[in-house]
Amino acid sequence: MFKKSLLILVSIVMILSLAPATLSAQGDPIVIGFLPGVVDPFYQVMELGVNAAAEDMGVQIITQIPQTWGVEVQTPILDAMIARGDLDYLIIAPTDKDQMIGPLEAALDAGIQVITVDTFLGDGDYVNGPVTFPISYIGSDNVEGGRIAARGLAAAIGGTGKVYINSTNPNVSSVEGRAVGFNEVMANEYPDIEVVGLDFNLDDPARATEQTAAVIAREPDLAGVFGTNVFSAQGAGQAVIQAGLGGQVQVVAYDATQLAIENLRAGVVSLVLAQKPFDMGYMAVQFAVAHAAGVTSLPKRVQTGFAIIDINNVDDPAIARFIYQVP
Amino acid sequence: MEQTAMTSEGNVLSREPMLSVRQLVKRFGGLTAVNKVDMDVYPGEVVGLVGDNAAGKSTLIKCIAGVHQPEEGEIYFEGRRVHFSHPIEARDAHIETIYQDLALAGNLNVGANIFMGREIKKPFLGGLVKVLDEEFMLQESRKLLEQLKIHIPDFTQEIETLSGGQRQAVAIARAVYWKAKLMIMDEPTNNLGVVEQRQVLDLVRELKSQGVPVILISHTLPDVFAVTDRIVVMHRGRKVTDKKTSETDSQEIVQYMVGALDDNRVDA
Amino acid sequence: MAVAKGSAPQSGEPSKRGDRRRQLVLTLSRVWAWAFLGLLIAFFVITVPLSSNGSVNFLTVRNSQNILMAIVSVLLLGLGQTFVIITAGIDLSVGHMMSLASVVSALVLREVFNAGVPLFPAVAIGLLAALATAALVGFLQGSIIARLKVPAFIVTLGGGFVLRGVALLMSDNSTVIGLPPGVRDYGNESLMYFIPGDSGGLYFFNRPEVSGELVRSMDRILPYPVIIAAIVVILMAFLLRRTAFGRHTYAIGGNQEAALRAGIPVDRHLIQLYMLSASTAAVAGFLSTLRFTAGSAVIGDPLLMSSIAAVIIGGVSLAGGAGSIIGTVIGALIVAVLTTGLVMLNVQAFWQFIVIGIVIIVAVLIDQSRDLIVSRMRSGA
Repeated sequence: MFKKSLLILVSIVMILSLAPATLSAQGDPIVIGFLPGVVDPFYQVMELGVNAAAEDMGVQIITQIPQTWGVEVQTPILDAMIARGDLDYLIIAPTDKDQMIGPLEAALDAGIQVITVDTFLGDGDYVNGPVTFPISYIGSDNVEGGRIAARGLAAAIGGTGKVYINSTNPNVSSVEGRAVGFNEVMANEYPDIEVVGLDFNLDDPARATEQTAAVIAREPDLAGVFGTNVFSAQGAGQAVIQAGLGGQVQVVAYDATQLAIENLRAGVVSLVLAQKPFDMGYMAVQFAVAHAAGVTSLPKRVQTGFAIIDINNVDDPAIARFIYQVP
Repeated sequence: MEQTAMTSEGNVLSREPMLSVRQLVKRFGGLTAVNKVDMDVYPGEVVGLVGDNAAGKSTLIKCIAGVHQPEEGEIYFEGRRVHFSHPIEARDAHIETIYQDLALAGNLNVGANIFMGREIKKPFLGGLVKVLDEEFMLQESRKLLEQLKIHIPDFTQEIETLSGGQRQAVAIARAVYWKAKLMIMDEPTNNLGVVEQRQVLDLVRELKSQGVPVILISHTLPDVFAVTDRIVVMHRGRKVTDKKTSETDSQEIVQYMVGALDDNRVDA
Repeated sequence: MAVAKGSAPQSGEPSKRGDRRRQLVLTLSRVWAWAFLGLLIAFFVITVPLSSNGSVNFLTVRNSQNILMAIVSVLLLGLGQTFVIITAGIDLSVGHMMSLASVVSALVLREVFNAGVPLFPAVAIGLLAALATAALVGFLQGSIIARLKVPAFIVTLGGGFVLRGVALLMSDNSTVIGLPPGVRDYGNESLMYFIPGDSGGLYFFNRPEVSGELVRSMDRILPYPVIIAAIVVILMAFLLRRTAFGRHTYAIGGNQEAALRAGIPVDRHLIQLYMLSASTAAVAGFLSTLRFTAGSAVIGDPLLMSSIAAVIIGGVSLAGGAGSIIGTVIGALIVAVLTTGLVMLNVQAFWQFIVIGIVIIVAVLIDQSRDLIVSRMRSGA
């Protein structure tokens, strides 16, 4: 039984291996893969941008959104997208700035040009840094975003007190940059503010809630929380609401989800940093199309900027349009 | 162990007992489950152990098999005083117990069960590692079952697909293969069909003919009369009689079982 | 005196037709996972080109190698688990064990290499460190389960949390980077490379120095992690099928009391099984360190449920006593083929969860109907 099974197994592997190689269709519309980090409103809005650009420019999009954040989840999907054999470009938000280098080099080897959005590889310097193969990195200036968040939170708490950072994953360029900028401003500009901790919730809002609640319990005089992305801000806001400390503990939320805006109106969140995921997606497709047309002067790094939303401007249509609208 | 075909009663009695139990006492809290019991089992002898529920017969054999440790009294096996603190020690002394729950692994085949825990291995890759010698174990099992006149159609079948009687037979065969010097059977015919009960009793006779002494616990008196040489009756922890099967009948045994007769009380 | 006649089951001999039906169910229970895998592959072979107007094919060399790469981690987590579940235990700590092994092997490899040890021995020492960690973890968990009689579910659930914490501590809450660049080759290069066409050919061990369209059409055959996983599969299958160790594993799963009475050192055996389970997870962690050129304290977490799913789909009964290594390989293949196929169909990959969920339940149903048939056969005899 064992030998026979092994034989059958080997045959299946052989059949899989010996099948004829795909001939990739050339000359047809450009095919672009889109592989963000995880299902969340930020990436869903980015997908809208990608799809809008695809329609405007007549390219085909293959989208896969992982259910869970992690290189072991993203890589098999990436490999399968490469194996389709028909992709010309890949728009990806790498889930780890170091670990995803190898798998994305494999995409390059397969003739797929890579554009990173939201998060970058290596140090993000695709000109002189350790990683130079992607066409471009299109995203927010996360360090600057962290600085804005720090100043916003400092103003909300009156320039003094204890603050806490809730982040998602270590070694992810976007949220890492936000924490770096935040800490830098607090250290240099606000000597009376103490950053009491940084936790990673691994993209789980429930864990973010737990962690923030624990910090509130540990630091009864906690003045503010910085949530570095959708899930962090959601969990931080929830913990503050649960503790009945809305307005007492200030929250600064990265990412303008509907929930963050609700919390803003409820006085729990004092500042929301809206990124421009729609523009990131749209622009990434534009870059791919331009690259395919032979444009050689594409910038290696594009910053899409922020909209800073507070209770005073949240109803201003010029600002409100940056709130993430997920269908 | 090759003292077969010498089972006439005169011979048996002249020999040293295989097992001797002297003044054995086992208590559970305030309850005396076994109360100063003496019992002998001679080579090639089948002894029936009967009694009402809670008469203490299961406790007695569990003391012999090392499951329980008696508070008082002595157990001699092959002439030497023994003290089993664990069932494995009793089994190492070749006292094999066939329990109602069979002690077989249902997911393994006949051969694997007979050799369970004592698998035969052969060298593989020039002696680098040892692998199971399935061939040898299967052949040995086949020989063994033939010798015991047990018929099982397919040896590679998992035990759980066999009938209750067949499984009981495999359990007994395993004990025989590993040179049981004393076989203890606790209700071996329970939950079996009529035909299968007969097969198990035939197997008991087969063991006897091969010189292996058997202690048979059973509620079914016709079975006990069918195969035993001697019957020991217990009542409320005490041995109330010890008679040759040929010198009694089931009515008398029932009288002992319900406490209406008691040899020891008369003697005392 | 003899039992000469009629030891065969006499009364209630099953009818021919009923017998055939039972045989069918028994055969089905043995081969259904194979059949399902075959159907799944056939399904994608037909639908993937249809969905893309022929521009995408499922059966390609590249894709076959992808599927093999994709099963490596899930499979390695499932291999030791197969032994554990056969004894009716469970090891919920394998995901976090993989993460810890990834961190440990990365840290040790980096330190040893920086101390001047050449690359290959440094990588080997990294593997040994991961295995040693696993042996310790498995020994501790197994001892608590076997000697202190705490349920495996509880011990490994708690143990998993501890391992995760230790991994995060050791990695300083980040990815362990700074590994020598050659490490990436071990984790990503292959035994063979094939370039079709006149200017191509088959290359062994060394990746041909080509560029442009040739690179694009180059197929990698048997990446090193796949080869290592295959070796572990063969070792585990051998251990389970051919050795007394494997036999004792089945015996404990079939009837632990009987195994104990038969003189099998059940406690010691169970401890060894949990060490084995941690060890195959450690190989997974080590390979992920090579592949991603970094150690990560969170890498194995999302894979635990997939690995248990693979084991169950492969026919290992949670009640213990039944299962095989080949079955687990099939289960892992089904999970990987589903993911890859759905992505190639451009269907959102989360559909795989729904399919896998249904497949698990069907697997257990088939298992149960098999048990029912067996018990009917017995009582009918």
